[in-house]
Amino acid sequence: MPNNQKPIATKTNQKAKKKRSDRSLGYMLIAPSMILILIIAIWPVFQSFYYSMFDLRLNNPAKSEAYVSYKVNLQTYLDNYPFLISSLEDELDEATGKTKTELEAIKTNLEKVDAELKSDQELSSKYDEVDEKLTVMEPISEELAVSDLDKEVALDLEKAVTDSSERIRELKGELQNPEDVIGLSASLKDSVITPNFIGLKHYKENLTDSRMWKAIQNTTVFTVISVFAELVIGLAIALLINKAFFGRGLVRATILIPWAIPTAVSAFMWKYLYDGQNGIVAKAFAEIGLFDQMTDMLTTSTGAMFAVIFADVWKTTPYMALLLLAGLQTIPSSLYEAAAIDGASKWKQFLKITLPLLKSSILVALLFRTLDAFRVFDLIYVLTGGGPANSTETISILAYKVMFAQTNFGEGSALSVIVFICVAIISMIYIKFLGRDLLNDK
Amino acid sequence: MKKLKKISKVISTSLALSLVLAACSDKEEGSSNSNNSGGDKDEKVTIVYARGKDDTQGTTAMVEAFEKKYPNINVDFKEMPADTGKQHDAYVTAFNANSDEIDVVDLDVIWPAEFAQAGFLMPLDRFMEKDGINPDDYNQGAITASKFKGKQWALPKFIDAGMLFYRTDLVDEGSVPKTWDELLAKAKETKGQGGTQFGYLMQAKQYEGLVCNAVEFIASYGGQIIDENGDVKVDSPESIKGIAKLVEVANSDVVPQNVTTFAEPESHTAFINGQAGLIRNWPYQFALANDEKQSKIAGKVGVAPLPAGDAGSAAALGGWMAGINKNTKHPEEAWKFLSFMAGKEGQKIDAIKGGHAPTILSLYEDQEILDANPYFKEEGFVNALEAAVSRPVAPNYPEISDIIQVQVSQAVAKKITPEQAAKNMQKEISAKLVK
Repeated sequence: MPNNQKPIATKTNQKAKKKRSDRSLGYMLIAPSMILILIIAIWPVFQSFYYSMFDLRLNNPAKSEAYVSYKVNLQTYLDNYPFLISSLEDELDEATGKTKTELEAIKTNLEKVDAELKSDQELSSKYDEVDEKLTVMEPISEELAVSDLDKEVALDLEKAVTDSSERIRELKGELQNPEDVIGLSASLKDSVITPNFIGLKHYKENLTDSRMWKAIQNTTVFTVISVFAELVIGLAIALLINKAFFGRGLVRATILIPWAIPTAVSAFMWKYLYDGQNGIVAKAFAEIGLFDQMTDMLTTSTGAMFAVIFADVWKTTPYMALLLLAGLQTIPSSLYEAAAIDGASKWKQFLKITLPLLKSSILVALLFRTLDAFRVFDLIYVLTGGGPANSTETISILAYKVMFAQTNFGEGSALSVIVFICVAIISMIYIKFLGRDLLNDK
Repeated sequence: MKKLKKISKVISTSLALSLVLAACSDKEEGSSNSNNSGGDKDEKVTIVYARGKDDTQGTTAMVEAFEKKYPNINVDFKEMPADTGKQHDAYVTAFNANSDEIDVVDLDVIWPAEFAQAGFLMPLDRFMEKDGINPDDYNQGAITASKFKGKQWALPKFIDAGMLFYRTDLVDEGSVPKTWDELLAKAKETKGQGGTQFGYLMQAKQYEGLVCNAVEFIASYGGQIIDENGDVKVDSPESIKGIAKLVEVANSDVVPQNVTTFAEPESHTAFINGQAGLIRNWPYQFALANDEKQSKIAGKVGVAPLPAGDAGSAAALGGWMAGINKNTKHPEEAWKFLSFMAGKEGQKIDAIKGGHAPTILSLYEDQEILDANPYFKEEGFVNALEAAVSRPVAPNYPEISDIIQVQVSQAVAKKITPEQAAKNMQKEISAKLVK
């Protein structure tokens, strides 16, 4: 018996080993795709979230990157400090009495901090190197210019610079060239880089900002109405082109044209069609009484919202129809034949056969289109630019404006993360309430 | 083992490839260096000049003249989007990456503060001192706009100011409207005459042009958005009066009903097609309206200062300047080009071929320029340039502009009253303004 046990034990051992190596092989096989998903899908979201926690502004050198420690930009510092000191000296020559003592105090204060800066061994060598390069007008690399700074020195420097800048501002009336001194001292302030981590402040600000809520509301209105209209019209078109009739291929091809035109191009086209003076569509809508005047289409809030929804429905209904048509073609025609023999009307057939069997296709199409519509950007950017009076500004348009026009990257990232969260919630709702049916059907 | 070999092969190949590429780029630089070695005189340097689309011949002619004068410097164009907002975004992206592909860059009058603050530009004071360029020779509004924190960051190339253009066949020179109320009356009177559909055209779309229109109305009633000390002063009775007048004009029946979709192209197209008797626009309107190929009203256009409010007439300052990229590899050559372009010679060529109004005051006495642009002599034109009011100067101007656009646009749409718009602007600009 004992003799027998050993081989069995080794066998199971071997089995387990094999199983384990199989499993690790399995992991190895899916690893590349997991890494790809991480890089392509998760990393950007994480990156946006990280940036959204900083006060990041491209147009401000002290905030143009995510800084977590205190630093000094020697280039900015040396571009201003010597000139400020010499301007102060010039002013000192002219000044008298109180102004003179005040200016002297400012100067000694600045010089003290400058000495403090130079006392650091490493910093002082960099200081000289940058100074040298500046005098011969050589370009200075980012690594050389920006150096780490002791927190205390940094705070001292910031305090000294801010103080002197304020004190100089107060002396404005007494100075010969107030603009120069004030300007230089204000520029000097930009050389101190303090950590710009602000945590969730952008989210707090955005969530209490009525403009963001208006944008979310506009996005929701746009999404719900356009996706619903697309579903109904798309289903009708799909049913129509599923029937065999003469020229079906041609109809199927032509119906795809709106979807094939680039969005920016079709948005331009609609802009002309909606034009208040010459637009045919605007004219037609005004004639049938949809609007009081042709000009209402792009100048009133409801008109503009209607205009973008109408253009979107025109553009993406074919896509919806195509998805539904694919679903329709999987329904065997024998079902309809059997139902017809049993005496079911066409309407009954549609309700009892088509709709239930088409359910999964409809769900997929709805999910795709809802997510797409929620992120709408190009159509509205070209057609109305978010106007009039922000009535068509969606969350993506707002994020673009904040990020690129105002170069406020931190807040723009926060808005992008909010878009991401909204999209995630929508997907979760679809999967939670409807996904179950989707899985059961198969 | 096999796998490892493969990987090492991939790595070595890519290494070799990158070496080859590096060698190539070295070679390129090397070849231009070898040109340089032929002596200072033969040194051929190419600088890249980025600008928006220029439909006139002005820039091309000016660059040709420059290259003739300095045969060792070659100027390449980098065409940017014509829309000022999009151009801004493109520059911000390039400069933020510390790119050196642009040497000289065109700047809208509202950008220098922002670009200077961001550290994109090279300060020009040293160069100007060396070459003896005196800022006093320039239009002071334009010079002020190119300064920030006591330093000069750009030189003004040409100047724009909002002006009133009118059809001389509908409006007699003697009865050109002097106030906003007269304008409304005149527009009503001429509407429908001579094939017109509208009385007055302006720009009321939610974009930068609306800020210009708003600044003009506010200033003509004595109001200010930001005063000279950098304090926000928009919530004042004068400013409210100005905004209210803007709302009144934009909602009157003399302007097109869809005037809130009008930017410059929409308004000038309607004007040159003879659809209106009066229009507020920039100086280019004059040359365009007299272009017989495009315009139905050539030869029948007059120019005057914008109508006055309680405090007189005011025009928004526009125009373009040029600066040097801080990361440029050829600062000397870039400066040579910039000082030529913004100097007398360059501006003269641009004024004659491009119809742009010079920023150097003495050029308004140059007979060749006056022959090409007879309206430069008109009193209304010169007065409008002198009365030009700049938009708020701030390193985060786009944010300030956005606030004004949104609030004024809502006031024009009658969603809020002018009082509320002023109050909202006061609050929001104060919160966002960076001094």
